[in-house]
Amino acid sequence: MTPAVVILVGAVLLAGCTAAPSPTPASAAPASAAPHTEPMPGGPLSTTAGQSPADVALQLEALLGQHSVLVADMMRSRIRNDADFAQAASTAVTRNTDDLTAVVKAMFGDQAAMAFRTTWSEHTTAFFNYARGIAANDTAARDDARAQLVKFESGLGDFFAGASQGRLPPAAARSALTAHVDHLLRQADEYAARDYGRAADDYRTAYSHAFGIGQTLAATLLPPDEAAKLDQPSWRLRSELDRLLGEHIALAVAALRAGATESPDFPAAAASLDQNTDQLTAAMGALFGPAAGQQFMQLWADHIDALVGYTSAVAGNDGAGRQAALDKLRGFEGKLAAFLDTATGSRIPSAELASAFLHHDQMLTEQVDAMANKDYAKAHELAYNAYQDMFGLAKQLSVAFGDTVAAQLPQGGAETGAGGTAPR
Amino acid sequence: MRWRPVACVVLGVTAVVCSVIAATAPPPPSPAAPSSEASFHSVRSYADVAEPVRLRIPALGVDAPLTHLGVAPNGTIEVPADFAVPGWFDQGPRPGQPGPAVILGHVDSKAGPAVFYRLNRLPVGAVVFVDRADGSTVDFRVRGMQHVAKTAFPTDLVYAPTLEPSLRLVTCGGPFDHSRSSYLDNVIVYADP
Repeated sequence: MTPAVVILVGAVLLAGCTAAPSPTPASAAPASAAPHTEPMPGGPLSTTAGQSPADVALQLEALLGQHSVLVADMMRSRIRNDADFAQAASTAVTRNTDDLTAVVKAMFGDQAAMAFRTTWSEHTTAFFNYARGIAANDTAARDDARAQLVKFESGLGDFFAGASQGRLPPAAARSALTAHVDHLLRQADEYAARDYGRAADDYRTAYSHAFGIGQTLAATLLPPDEAAKLDQPSWRLRSELDRLLGEHIALAVAALRAGATESPDFPAAAASLDQNTDQLTAAMGALFGPAAGQQFMQLWADHIDALVGYTSAVAGNDGAGRQAALDKLRGFEGKLAAFLDTATGSRIPSAELASAFLHHDQMLTEQVDAMANKDYAKAHELAYNAYQDMFGLAKQLSVAFGDTVAAQLPQGGAETGAGGTAPR
Repeated sequence: MRWRPVACVVLGVTAVVCSVIAATAPPPPSPAAPSSEASFHSVRSYADVAEPVRLRIPALGVDAPLTHLGVAPNGTIEVPADFAVPGWFDQGPRPGQPGPAVILGHVDSKAGPAVFYRLNRLPVGAVVFVDRADGSTVDFRVRGMQHVAKTAFPTDLVYAPTLEPSLRLVTCGGPFDHSRSSYLDNVIVYADP
């Protein structure tokens, strides 16, 4: 971000919600606003120093998944008329847009990044306007926002299709973005109707779909020889672990926030977290066998129960309960680290893992504290960092898991014939 | 200054949050039933995928029980003892679990065609059914086929863990080395749910 932009961001944040209503900025504008996309430059791609193209692809997935979660949170807070939360949520959305723009800049340069940022930001503003229409029961505002989103789908679709130099058909790009918009609008409608179960389901669907858009984009935006690396099992394992562990953070944060504020959507948010736990367990069972899967699930459930217990204690101002939950978390961290140390043949030292889990838990419990103190900016910053932090852990785990399984695989071809009569 | 319009747009969400909430402010939704975090308990059991017991490939007329395979002492994969019975590599995922499940079958024996005799004719899109011990069935659609020299067998692509459910069917093919009674190639079918 340029210094001038930083100053402007700061000014808006300092003004806060107590300031007199400011003139509607261009971004909140009318449905007739057209996407400002520009043709993408061709030529070779570059990436930031130290990052391989495959790493950039993972970053794109993670940021798009996070975009979905942050926009949904922002829309919900607007529907609740929770102004302070909405302010913090919108700041988090902007931070995510900054990070996405940095990826686009690294891949395609300044001009492309500018074009992307303009349209992407208008896209996120239109989501906010849609939620505003719900909150105000203003059908015209909702329709206007939806119409804007349709235009941005087309503009963004063309943007990415152009960047792919023919590898991503415009219709496919638009279709993916249309589904993305539909998921987010639907979860907002369901949330407003207090159909929290469906809203939670679509929250998950929106996350997974947006994460998948990252993979689709990377596979078509990267040069073919680099894109081929995304088919390698090691990359796919890491990508799937990223998705599951990133989702764990997103859903845990959603459930803990609902718990901290005693919101009626807690049961639905917790049920979503259970579904993520099921999928993580299935992954562990497939990698290390059913018994290991079951053992993992007990440890993971201890972890989630302790986090929810902590949240409940904070909400109830129960100091003893809070300490008891922290004690349980410290126990969990050591046990899960030991379990993974054993499962991977000590490919990740237990102490290093325990430290990583401690950091993970501390960020989650501190964001609960921040929520309880209504310090929503801090809560969002912690949640944002916890989400990003998970991908470093996922990288370590995927390498260790892959190496552990690979060491036990059969080598060479199969002797499955002996007659010499096989059809050619 | 080219950054100016962009900056305004990026700030748009934040600015609008303040102005429109203050301006509209409809009554907030009233709290519904009390939250239940105090009584919440995370899920602690999951339905494991049952072991595969039968393979059916209608396009090839294959309908056979499955045996179990492991790793032979020399590090290669075991192969079915019965030429009419395919085998599932039971140290990898079960069909339908996250990751690649692998089933091997012989293409022929000295007595004639075996269970995977026509595997190399299996078209893209063909359906493969795997019945499981709990009575459930998982189906896969053929995505592609690969002929590879056994000396360049793609262990990673066939066996290495991903978390996406998939199926590999493997048999022999290509030139036959009569001196060793062994084919030089393998045929690998890749199928997805």
